[in-house]
Amino acid sequence: MVKPKEDEFLLEREPRFEDSFCSIQAIPQIPKLHLKETKKLVSYARRFNDEVVRPLALKTDLKTFQDPDYLPWDIVEKANQWGFYTMFIPKLFGGQGWSLPAHAYVIEELSSACVGIANVIFVHYLGFVTILASWNLPLINKICREVAAGQRTGNPCLLTLAITEPGAGTDVEEVELVDRGKVTCYAEKVKGGYVVNGTKIFISMGHVSTWHALIAYADLKKPSENTVMLAVKTGMKGFSFGKHENKMGQRACCASELVFQDCFVPDEYVLGDSRYFPNSQIRATGDLVNQIIHYVVEVTRASVGAFGTGVARGAYERALKFASETEVEGKLLINHEWTQIMLAEMYKNVIAGRLTYNEANYSNSLRGGIFHFLQIKPLYYYLKFIPQPIIDMFFVPFYKLKITNWLIRQIFVEGQSMEAQKRCSGWSSIAKFFGTDMGMKNSQMALEMMGQAGLRHENGAEKILRDSKLLQIYEGTNQLNRLNLFNCLIARGVPQARVFDE
Amino acid sequence: MLTTTKQELKSFEDLARSFAAKELAANREEHDRYPFGPFFDDVLARAYEVGLLGATLPEDCGGIGQGISALCVILEHISAVDASLGGIIFTNAFAQEILLTAGGKELLAGVMDKAADAPSALIAFPAFANPSETGVSLEAAKANHVHRLSGGIDYVVLGGLAGHALVPARIKGQKNYSFFLVDLVHQGVAKSRPIFSLGLHACPAVDLTLAGVEAKLIGKEGEGAQYFNQAADRMHAAVAAIACGIMKGSFQEALDYSRQRFQGGREIINWSGLRMILGQMAVQVKIAEMVVSEAALAVENQEPQWNLCSRAAALHLSELACKLTTDGIQCLGGNGYMKDYGQEKRFRDAKHVQAFLGLAPMRKLSVIRDMLS
Repeated sequence: MVKPKEDEFLLEREPRFEDSFCSIQAIPQIPKLHLKETKKLVSYARRFNDEVVRPLALKTDLKTFQDPDYLPWDIVEKANQWGFYTMFIPKLFGGQGWSLPAHAYVIEELSSACVGIANVIFVHYLGFVTILASWNLPLINKICREVAAGQRTGNPCLLTLAITEPGAGTDVEEVELVDRGKVTCYAEKVKGGYVVNGTKIFISMGHVSTWHALIAYADLKKPSENTVMLAVKTGMKGFSFGKHENKMGQRACCASELVFQDCFVPDEYVLGDSRYFPNSQIRATGDLVNQIIHYVVEVTRASVGAFGTGVARGAYERALKFASETEVEGKLLINHEWTQIMLAEMYKNVIAGRLTYNEANYSNSLRGGIFHFLQIKPLYYYLKFIPQPIIDMFFVPFYKLKITNWLIRQIFVEGQSMEAQKRCSGWSSIAKFFGTDMGMKNSQMALEMMGQAGLRHENGAEKILRDSKLLQIYEGTNQLNRLNLFNCLIARGVPQARVFDE
Repeated sequence: MLTTTKQELKSFEDLARSFAAKELAANREEHDRYPFGPFFDDVLARAYEVGLLGATLPEDCGGIGQGISALCVILEHISAVDASLGGIIFTNAFAQEILLTAGGKELLAGVMDKAADAPSALIAFPAFANPSETGVSLEAAKANHVHRLSGGIDYVVLGGLAGHALVPARIKGQKNYSFFLVDLVHQGVAKSRPIFSLGLHACPAVDLTLAGVEAKLIGKEGEGAQYFNQAADRMHAAVAAIACGIMKGSFQEALDYSRQRFQGGREIINWSGLRMILGQMAVQVKIAEMVVSEAALAVENQEPQWNLCSRAAALHLSELACKLTTDGIQCLGGNGYMKDYGQEKRFRDAKHVQAFLGLAPMRKLSVIRDMLS
């Protein structure tokens, strides 16, 4: 056998063991209760699909064509009643505190029935993770408590991320591109807060959300080092909604335009201003902004992979049902050998998509990943079994202390190595573009198998195809995600490689 | 491509291109809203006036008597802008083709002669199903030399607009199906609402229910499958032309957009990743043009295995169009997914067109069946 030192050296070689085998490293560290929680949530999601999603999916899609002004208030209300908006918010912030990595399985379940409605629920967590990645505990706590109150009172309080601009989509997702991009959302520091001017577009669920994690810039010429994250509440003076887009699919989930005209945001709602970030031992200012973006996309891109896997599954399930019920040339389609091979291929696409988003989740559960902290066993079980009032009494008062802020930064900012950031971000990109490509593949295959029947709206397959395409575009186009994978996990082994620099 | 080989088709190219630019381009999104917006009656009327609905119809039936090449040229240029009108032209031409194949020229001339406007000159047809694959649900009963049809038939394209429909039905006691021409204003014809579908919104279909509706037998009893296959052999080239047109439209919009949109401080066309996608699209479009041209000429010249050329062209280009239009959206990013641009419609239309004339996998299998027979 090899000697220990040599052993280490060999495992450090590409493909690095640590980056390539995430699940085998993460599973022994994960609390056993996580499995039980996941099973409960999957069955809960299946019940929600039966009682809410499936009866509404096609009806809602049709409604959006008949009434272009439709906004999904009815679905939001249902999801709020079922507790989906607080489900994955940690108890530390007043949520239900279900195991965070389990969210991806729920996404797959809901997306297999309707990815539009799945987005009505889970876009909220894009907003949540963005707010979380600011590590501004008092503000995170304030906003999340409003979400929890929204569930109790029946007045849903949803969160969004507002980042895309009319002239900049890909650019705002990459610090290396943003300085060359056409960003226009300007946040000027004034006494007591910021004044924001600009427009954000394609903001999923904007019109029906309460809090918006807005990414603006204090200097439009050098946005990478002048990024300002603000929490903007619907109804604030100078903030209004423009149109919502007429999309091909995922029509249950509106894509909104957010308009800021001399919108004053007080200091208490500042999630973070990169100019005032404490110095870091391992990151420059631009890299700290990049870390925040990557903390968000490490979760959300893998989640989009789960959306894609769900879509692939939905398409497969429609095709299977059709093949089992339809005769072609006098015998059931399912008894044609080519159909069986096609269905097996579709099944494989679902499994492969699921494995990929799972691996990305496990990467996030390893040290340096965003799930890791809350999965440390003593903390996990403490939060699981200690009643909420005690948590509120013994944790919340400390959120405002400087020492707490310092500690959190040590854990999440300084505590995340560049290697861990790249592992998590790289895996999340793989899950995103692979899962969504599988979604597109299966929805195309389902329609090929169904022919004329697949074209009809009432049969659901054509909606899956329309819905599926968006997944290859948002959370960074699949092209950008391939480049991010290259940047994170391939380029490091090739010193002469340059990304976004041709 | 076709017009390079056959110069005489240039006039059809000019006609289709100018018609598409004038009548279709500006209101593409509005036309696509059907059935939740008005149908483009005016466009259809003008297409009828200029002869686009009768390209392959013999002159003595009131058409312009051209071959499949002219039809392909027209379909390609129309579909580059809005494939819905391409779908109407195709469906009508396919129904006419079956009538002609079955020796129903006089009947066809009679229908055209009586047609007062564009809708009454159209013949609806279930253009997305091969009756031999999916079975025939209409039944024909014969009494006093008159056939009466009863039962339901799904997804009859243009059934909500056209004056007549050509439908397959099984005569009581017979194994094979026959084609019948039905007057759609007959009292016993019940039409569903337009079926909301994936693509080709302005080329709508309805489900029909017939209750003892008098119908004219087309050709011989029990010969429906032969007529369908013969017509399909020729008309698959037209499907290829629609797919090619959609591809050209998608590529052009992607190219135009990528020269205007900036990312990372430069036009996106100047990033080699995007340029590679455009390069692939350009290659696919050129191949599509060649394939349509060769297939149409093979059909027209009755070259050896012309029917396989025609079917292969449709199968290949339908698949290629689905792939290319996916990239077509991707080049525009989020904008490509919105109805303000043409790419999302082309993506839907391409997949819709792939379903013409029956299940694509079954049509692939039939290529081998034909080769072996």
